[in-house]
This record gives sequence, structure tokens and C-alpha cells, in this order.
Amino acid sequence: MNEEGRKPEKGLDAPATASKPANDQGSAAESEAAKSSAEANPATDAKPAAEAKPTAQAKTAAEVKPAAEAKPAAGEPTGEPVGEPAKRVATGPDGAAAKPTAAAKPAAAAARPAGAAKPAGAAAKKAPPPPDPRAEAAKAKAEQVKAAIVARLGEAAVEEVGAAHFVPMLVIRKQDWPSAVDLLRTHPDWKTNYLEFMAGTDYKDKGYIEVVIYLQSTELGHFLCLKTRTDRDKAEIPSLCSVFPGVNWEEREIYDLLGVTFTGHPDLRRIMLWDDFKGHPLRKDYNEWDERNA
Amino acid sequence: MSLIDEKDQVRTEEMLLNVGPQHPSTHGVFRLVVKISGETIIDAEPVIGYLHRGTEKLAEDLQYTQIIPYTDRLDYLAAMLNNYALCHTVEEALGLEIPERAEYLRVIVMELNRIASHLLFIGTYLLDLGAMSPFLYVFAERERIVQMFNEICGARLTYNYMRIGGLRWDAPPGWLDQVRAFVGHMREQLKMYDDLITGNEIFLNRVRGIGVYDTETALAHGMSGINLRCTGFEWDLRRKKPYSIYDRFDFEIPVGKNGDCFDRYYLHLLEMRESLKIVEQALDQIPESGPVLGKVPKLIRVPAGEYYSGIEGARGELGFYIVSDGKDKPYRMKIRKPSFVNLQLLPKLLRGQNMANLIAILGAVDIVLGEVDA
Amino acid sequence: MDLSRLEPHRLDPIRARQLPVIEYEGLTPEENAELRRGGVMLNSLEQLKAWARSNSLWPLTFGLACCAIEMMGTGASHYDLDRFGIIFRASPRHADVMIVAGTVTKKMAPLLRRLYDQMAEPKWVVSMGVCATAGGPYVKSYSVLKGVDQVVPVDVYIPGCPPSPPALIYGLNLLQEKIRNEARGRKVAQA
Repeated sequence: MNEEGRKPEKGLDAPATASKPANDQGSAAESEAAKSSAEANPATDAKPAAEAKPTAQAKTAAEVKPAAEAKPAAGEPTGEPVGEPAKRVATGPDGAAAKPTAAAKPAAAAARPAGAAKPAGAAAKKAPPPPDPRAEAAKAKAEQVKAAIVARLGEAAVEEVGAAHFVPMLVIRKQDWPSAVDLLRTHPDWKTNYLEFMAGTDYKDKGYIEVVIYLQSTELGHFLCLKTRTDRDKAEIPSLCSVFPGVNWEEREIYDLLGVTFTGHPDLRRIMLWDDFKGHPLRKDYNEWDERNA
Repeated sequence: MSLIDEKDQVRTEEMLLNVGPQHPSTHGVFRLVVKISGETIIDAEPVIGYLHRGTEKLAEDLQYTQIIPYTDRLDYLAAMLNNYALCHTVEEALGLEIPERAEYLRVIVMELNRIASHLLFIGTYLLDLGAMSPFLYVFAERERIVQMFNEICGARLTYNYMRIGGLRWDAPPGWLDQVRAFVGHMREQLKMYDDLITGNEIFLNRVRGIGVYDTETALAHGMSGINLRCTGFEWDLRRKKPYSIYDRFDFEIPVGKNGDCFDRYYLHLLEMRESLKIVEQALDQIPESGPVLGKVPKLIRVPAGEYYSGIEGARGELGFYIVSDGKDKPYRMKIRKPSFVNLQLLPKLLRGQNMANLIAILGAVDIVLGEVDA
Repeated sequence: MDLSRLEPHRLDPIRARQLPVIEYEGLTPEENAELRRGGVMLNSLEQLKAWARSNSLWPLTFGLACCAIEMMGTGASHYDLDRFGIIFRASPRHADVMIVAGTVTKKMAPLLRRLYDQMAEPKWVVSMGVCATAGGPYVKSYSVLKGVDQVVPVDVYIPGCPPSPPALIYGLNLLQEKIRNEARGRKVAQA
């Protein structure tokens, strides 16, 4: 996010350099800027929005108008709080040349604290995942589950092993879907007797539809995430109804909204929408106004 | 054709009977096509989707904070819990810290909302069974809760009170005292309901021993909440997978014995008692003051990945599954709807029952159509 | 009922021609024309009927979504719709008013129309909440009807999501007023 936000800065050469000295000499101003940006967390977020506009104008305007005009504008606020030029952006009576300077200043000031003072945001989350012990533990557990499945159904049954946010995750081959789920249900080490959740997702760019279930063992406390994938054009997955009768409606819902045919399902009909409905709305390329859906 | 069949009984013909979608006892727009022979139900087929509003699709075009009002309208009897379920999932994904006071206020409003929802269940369930006055009683109680919610967030039904990372507003001055007064009042009222309803012979005859199923069936059908606990199986996510600050409170998980409609009714009553206990403890422990909204970026972007977390809603496990591609909007959001899952067993329960028991069994499942259809 | 409460302009022939035409039930057009010319006796009778009807509106319990809970709340002990003579009926054949309380989906719309057709004349429709009025928050959804007025004629729209019980009561009072005003031959806008 911050990188995106800083990009426009490079576009406006003159004002960016003009604002730098102000930044270096006035350490008080900088600390104040840091404070204001840290305190008003939105400032870091609002910044790209404020900057996004100037970029287009700035390139042209900053080139046409001499940097001299920009300099006084930058030199002026050394003693002033940084909030002041930011305000001017909003009112912005002094033309396009002043705009980029004002916008660039808080950006440059915010650039430093953004890394240090904003650990609560998404940025901080991004860094830890690889070494996160919980995710590692989940992966290790997933390997164990894989071993249990592979022992019975062969190496090809498990396509991928990983973690879905601290939950062990396995991608099962489509053909082995019910047998793998049934295996885990009856396996003495896992006993996942409770299917908590089922969903389908259309990954249009990756070209497949994914069905995901979360299994819970009420006795042993395991919580697993199992997935299977199918082609988008000919979406077919064996039904889980024989293993867990409770997925009956869930599968009908996925059939209705995503267009996945569950082979072996006792009663596969539309459930939410009416029978004449055309198309599957939760697919990413669904368009209500498409002629084919009329 | 003679009117008497070979077993010397009056010959009946099979007949299709349509219940709903406009029917006062289906709690919304639920339709049931029942095949009956005389008074006996041979088969029943639920038809849902009359309130399917496409929340999941709409959510894909909304920022996380903008989805919160839509969750209000899923299970509109317990909107606070829905708010929380979404916020909880996003907070887990972001790893946010929630301020202490916000956690306590959340628990208080959630438990109050659970009470309001259970109250409505008792009122409408008895209304379905032919008792008019409980409906009027429970609405008087519920109105007090609703008025308190109105004070704290400005809405009576669709609260939109929680935010990712905390709450929108702090409680107004004197609000917590109101809650405390209500807890005392509600205790007495609950005792009255217990005295008036639970021992009522007519009521007992209608609900005891019907709609029975066992734990294994319930688990296989993915049931949760009271519908699972009525079979005697203790499964409450507040205990089993503690979220928020529920591990700080001392409360019991009431479970049933027989798994019949009476147990389901009675568990609602007992759960309200436990909720009152939680509210009281929370009122004792809540910090005097403090922020109610933690440090949250203004534009919430969930790191790419998938997240699922469930909470114990008023009707069972209420969960949100979010697939994020790192943007400020979910790539896919799916709701684990407890009523939707719980309702599946209905045809099995109805088969072979008397026609008059239909409403008694359906009512005890405690569905909300906004949630079933989403 | 005060039968002498006739506005002077009703006797003025030029003004009378500008007023909306009243159709009396069960009469031929000639008789209708005759009665409109005279108007004294039967106009009063119409007003009497409207007075009676407006004070015993029986709505159909037609809860669709969230608004239904507020509708129930309005009918229950605290707000008590009974004091306006408004009593909920479960069958469309008993009902005068259909309070469309909640989101109308495309799947539900034909059934809603059928229920409306089953109601006996005279009948009115109240659209409660923004979903029923114009789709509300679900206006972009693929399965939601953008306003119940695409299916049935609506007399009163009540905004809100959901409208509070006082708002519903106000809306129903407006409907009562409308019924009485129409019987006087006034346009509703003049109410």
C-alpha cells in the first residue's frame, strides 16, 4: 500500500526535491509530522488518495511552472505544522504548482513513520507469516494427515499441502474426494465426525472452481480444511452426501450458485433460485444483463 | 371403491398440501410441500429461497466495513451476533488487538441480543402452538432490550454497532446501570415464564416426545447450537473454541436429555439464564473507561489467504469464510448459516408424524428465513 | 358521524366537475352519474363506509424479512395496533391491507401478486421499508425486485430500514386518512 502511495512522488521531480530540505533541516517539524501521521492513522491512507490526483496534473504543471515557484511554497512552512500545507491541498487556491509540493511533503514525512509506527496494520501481518509458528504447526499437521490419506489412497490422492490461516489444509484429488473424507471420518487418529462448513469458490483467473470443507473432530479436537478442485467449464465433483448427509443442501446451494454438478447427489436441483433461472450468480463472470442469462 | 380398506380402517388418499410461503407459522417465507395420507405425514419437502437476496455476491463488491450492515439483515433477530461474527473473522485475519472495554461491551450486547432472540423464539413458538398471551409478554421484555440497543447505537433491529477492531460508540452514561436493572428484572420474568409454561400440561402434551433425534444424526447433519445440544451433546463454541473473552466468565452449558421439542424449548429458557449470568459478570468486570475502537487502518485490507471462524450464534454456529486476494474487498465471502444447516433434518423428522405436530416440530428448529436464504 | 359536514364547494357545479369521479360500487354508470349529480345521501353513505373501513383495517400477516419483526413488535404489547382497530389476519381473504414488510425477491413476487389477487376489494397496500419500496440495500442484487410497486399498486410507502413501530403507525394512520379523504372525493394530495 505504501509503495503504491509513494509512487507518484517520483513523478514530480522538482517539488519532491524542493520539499526535502525542509524535511531535513526542521527535525522538529519532522517529529511533529511523524506524530501527526501516527496519530491520525488515516493520514497514511488518505495520502494516496490525495496524491493520486496531483500526479496527472503535476507532471504537466510542474514542468511548465518553474521550480522557483515551488520553492517558496516549500520553504515557507518550515516552522509551521505539517497539517497546514495539507489543508491547503483541500482548499488549493494557489494553483497546480503548489499542489504537488503540499501533497509530497506529508508523503515524505509519512514515509518514515509508516514503516515503524504502523505495525498494527496489514503491513505488519505481511512480514511474519512465513515464520509464524502456528502456521508452521498447521503445515506439519497437514503433513500427518497427508500421510494418513496416502497410506490408504496412494500418493496421487493429495495434490497439495499447506495451511489456511493456521488450519491444516489439504487439496484432495477430485476422484478421491468422498473416499478421503470418509477415511478421515473413520480413521482412529482423526475421527473428523463433524462437517462444520462447506463452501465453493470460483477462481476464474486460475481456471478452476474450488470446494472447501472444514472438518472437526468433536472427540479429538482436530480441525482440518480439505479442498478439491474442478475445471470451470465442466464442473463436476463427486458428492459427499453418502459420507455426511448434512451437506445435501450445501451442495445444492453450490450447484445453484456456482454451477458445480455433484455426481451421486440424491436430489440435485436449484435451491435458492427458481428453476428457470439462467446462469450461476456466484461465478465471477456472471452478468445479470448478459443475453444468455435473459 | 369402498371406504374401508383391508385393515378395517377408513380409506384415505394421498394428498399434497402446501404450507407457505405465506403462512403465519413458518416465520417468514418458508414453504413446505407436505404429502399426507389422512392426518399422517408421508413426506415433506422444504422449499426455500424466497428471501434469497444474494448477500454473498453483494459482499464481493463491498469493503469489509460496508459488509457489516448487510450482516445485520441475515439473522435479524440477533444482529449483534452477526456483526460480531464478521468482525471476528476479519480481526483474526489481521491479528488485531481489541480494547478491553470494547470486548466487554461486545459480550454484553451479544448476550442481551441472545436473550432477545430466545425470547422471541419462546413467544412465537407458543403462538404457533396456540397460546396467544406469551407472545405479548415476551414482546414487553424484548422491547426493553431493543430500547437499550436503540440508546447505544441508534437502531432498534439492524444495529450496525460493531466495527472491525472494536465498536462504533461507547455506551452512553447510565446505560450499564440500565442493563443491570434489566438483568434483575429479567431474572424474575424468567422464573415466571418457567412457572407458567414449562409445567403446562397442554404444552407438554404438544411438545414432549416429538421430533426426536440422537446425537449421531445431529452431528452427521452438521447441526449446531441448541439443536445439537438438545440431544445431550455438549458443544458450545464459547467453551470449545473460546473467542472474545468468554473464557473469563463462569457459566454453564445446559444440555438436553431426549432431543425432543420440549428439550429445545427448555434449553432456550435455560440459556437465557446463563446469558444473564454472563452479562452480570461482564458488568462487574468492565473497565470504567477506555477506548472502544482499537488502532485500525482506515482502509482495511486483509492479507491474501482464506479465513474461517465461527462463533456461537443464537441458532448455532455462525461462521464467516473469507477468501481475500489482498484487496480491500473480499474475493469471496461465504456465510455458515446455522438455520440453513439445521433445517435439513426437517423432512426426516416430519415423516410419519401427525399433521398437527408439523408446526410444533418446525417451530422448535428456530429458523430465521433471512439467514436460511441469505 | 356528522352527516351535515359537507363542504360548500361540493355544491358548486364548476368545482364539482374538477373533482375526481367517484364510482359507487355495484351500480350502473347511469345511476352513478345520477348519484354524482345529487350526491347528498350516498356521499354521506360513502363517507360512513370509509369511516368504518378505515377504523377496522385488517392487514395480512405478510412478513417477508426484517421489517416483519418490527411489524410484529408494533402489533404486540408495547405499541399495540389493536387500538386502531388493526388486527392481523392470516388469510388474504379476510384482509383489507397488505403490509409488504421486507425484501421482495423475484422468486416471491408472483406469489405476492397472487395473494394480492386473493384479497377482497376494497384493498390497499402499504410498502414497509426501503426494500419493499425500491430494493433498498439489495437494489444491486440479482434476485431482488426493485420495489413492490412493480407487482402491486401501493398506497403508502414507509421509509426506513426497518421503519420503527411509530413510523409504521404513522403510515397506517395516513392510510386511514387517505381512505376517508377519497370517500369525500378529495385527492389524496390535498390531505
